[in-house]
Amino acid sequence: MSNNNKKWFSLNLNSKTRQDTNSCGCGSNSVGCNSHNEMLSEEKPKDGFEQVFDVQMDRRTAFKKLTASLLIGAGAVSTSCSVVAGDDSKEKAQIDWDEQFKGNYKLMTNEEKNATVERLVRSYQLRTGKNISMSSKNAEEDVLFGYAFNISKCQGYMDCVTACVEENNQDRKSQMQYIRIHEMKDGAGLNFNEADDNYYHEVPAEGHFYMGTQCFHCDNPPCVEVCPVQATWREEDGLVVIDYDWCVGCRYCMAACPYDGRRFNWSTPEVPEEEVNKDQHYLGNRMRKKGVMEKCTFCVQRSRAGENPACVEACPTGSRIFGNLLDPDSTIRWVLENKKVFRLKEDLGTEPKFWYFMD
Amino acid sequence: MRNTIQILGISFFMAMTLFSCKDHEDDYHSVLERIEVESKEYHGTSITSDQYITEINTIEITEGDHTFLIPERKSQIKSFSCLECHTKSLKELEDGRSGKKAHWDIKIVHANEQTMNCATCHNGNDMDNLKSLTNTAIDFNNSYNLCSQCHTKEFTDWKGGAHGKRIASWAPPRLSNTCVNCHDPHDPHFETRYPDRFNTEYENERK
Repeated sequence: MSNNNKKWFSLNLNSKTRQDTNSCGCGSNSVGCNSHNEMLSEEKPKDGFEQVFDVQMDRRTAFKKLTASLLIGAGAVSTSCSVVAGDDSKEKAQIDWDEQFKGNYKLMTNEEKNATVERLVRSYQLRTGKNISMSSKNAEEDVLFGYAFNISKCQGYMDCVTACVEENNQDRKSQMQYIRIHEMKDGAGLNFNEADDNYYHEVPAEGHFYMGTQCFHCDNPPCVEVCPVQATWREEDGLVVIDYDWCVGCRYCMAACPYDGRRFNWSTPEVPEEEVNKDQHYLGNRMRKKGVMEKCTFCVQRSRAGENPACVEACPTGSRIFGNLLDPDSTIRWVLENKKVFRLKEDLGTEPKFWYFMD
Repeated sequence: MRNTIQILGISFFMAMTLFSCKDHEDDYHSVLERIEVESKEYHGTSITSDQYITEINTIEITEGDHTFLIPERKSQIKSFSCLECHTKSLKELEDGRSGKKAHWDIKIVHANEQTMNCATCHNGNDMDNLKSLTNTAIDFNNSYNLCSQCHTKEFTDWKGGAHGKRIASWAPPRLSNTCVNCHDPHDPHFETRYPDRFNTEYENERK
């Protein structure tokens, strides 16, 4: 963890890694020696502490922010001064403090990304005693993820939905699911109003076909446009992701999405400890909290590592095809170039990277 | 003269500004255009499927323009090689006096009886190989060559990657299931069954 480029004041209650106050050898924080100049001359976007406080705001907002921070601060101070509180709770208080003041993930440097991931892993360890692994892997160059769905092959088994829920630690209580499989009548067109996405009878049913929807990772995503705090954005490899810690839960994106791709946590997500997928990514399946948005990320924790998303892996029919749109030899490119493909609501100009095709 | 140079200069700068806008990603008209332009400079990635496919025995095949991996088959067939049991010729087994009853559970539900029987694909004189319609031997590992005799469209789609499940990784090298990994060749259709889950919360919400 590198502490020398933090943008907020650290408590340093009891952390194992004591902070280096100076990044150069001169021993002073002032701009006395030359090595400081370099740091200062770099122009950086406002982030973290600055992003919160270095803005004009009215009294009410200022008080709100101050109260929230003071509460955490008070908690931190009370634990740090307390004789009874153990080392663990002091460390936890410090982590909570740092997490409160961290910036938007989108603007973080790689060191800052690693630092927040380390804090989240440690925090989980302190709370549950269990170890998780969390990645902050960035988008790879020359990769643009795309998806194709064969509507004549899907049998409506919904194995993908189960795999998705388990992989992405979705709330079991509200039975949240990113994927929906619509049972459609043959010959009635793509009529979502009359399709059933919650059937329970033997499938495939006579005279029906099945069509799966999820987040389409639009290249021109309307959900990103409307986010008032820029907590959701399109990554370089085409994934539309959410910083769950920056999201304020206004649900504008949910309203803006023409495909019903986004889900909201109305209550604190509940996943039994033994079912938690511990292979996580900051932008993917890490545990969410109450009041934030989430959605399909094409299993960023898997896809960026080279694995197929969980739904592709689980599908017993091979209806789901996933790959790199920039690789001219990829299977997804072959599908786009050789099959008759279409997308939903193409006229909206959202440019989804999710194509449907038939045999 | 000076005016001309000035005008030229200004128009040059304007042109530069216009062209430099093109670098911005929002300027692609559609995602297909972006794919077309950006994939011209595709150099490959560091991501490979290697670490995910180590546990599967694979063989590399080349069909047309496509070269990819499929799971090796022979080691997965429990009673291979056939000659370990079939020490006598089929003629001798036919009268039933030997008392051996193998393969009794196999019933062909694949095309109709006029088109297919055991001998369409199996060769009584060379049981360790399959045979094509014209009696040439086909290795069990390459059984897709047998299926492709009739299912030509599926074969084309499979080679390209539109049919058949891709295993483990989206990254190259590609590993795809071969026909018999998903379809029982004696009964190739998919069974009907109940979906894996039913969302009771959806049901309550929509009442």
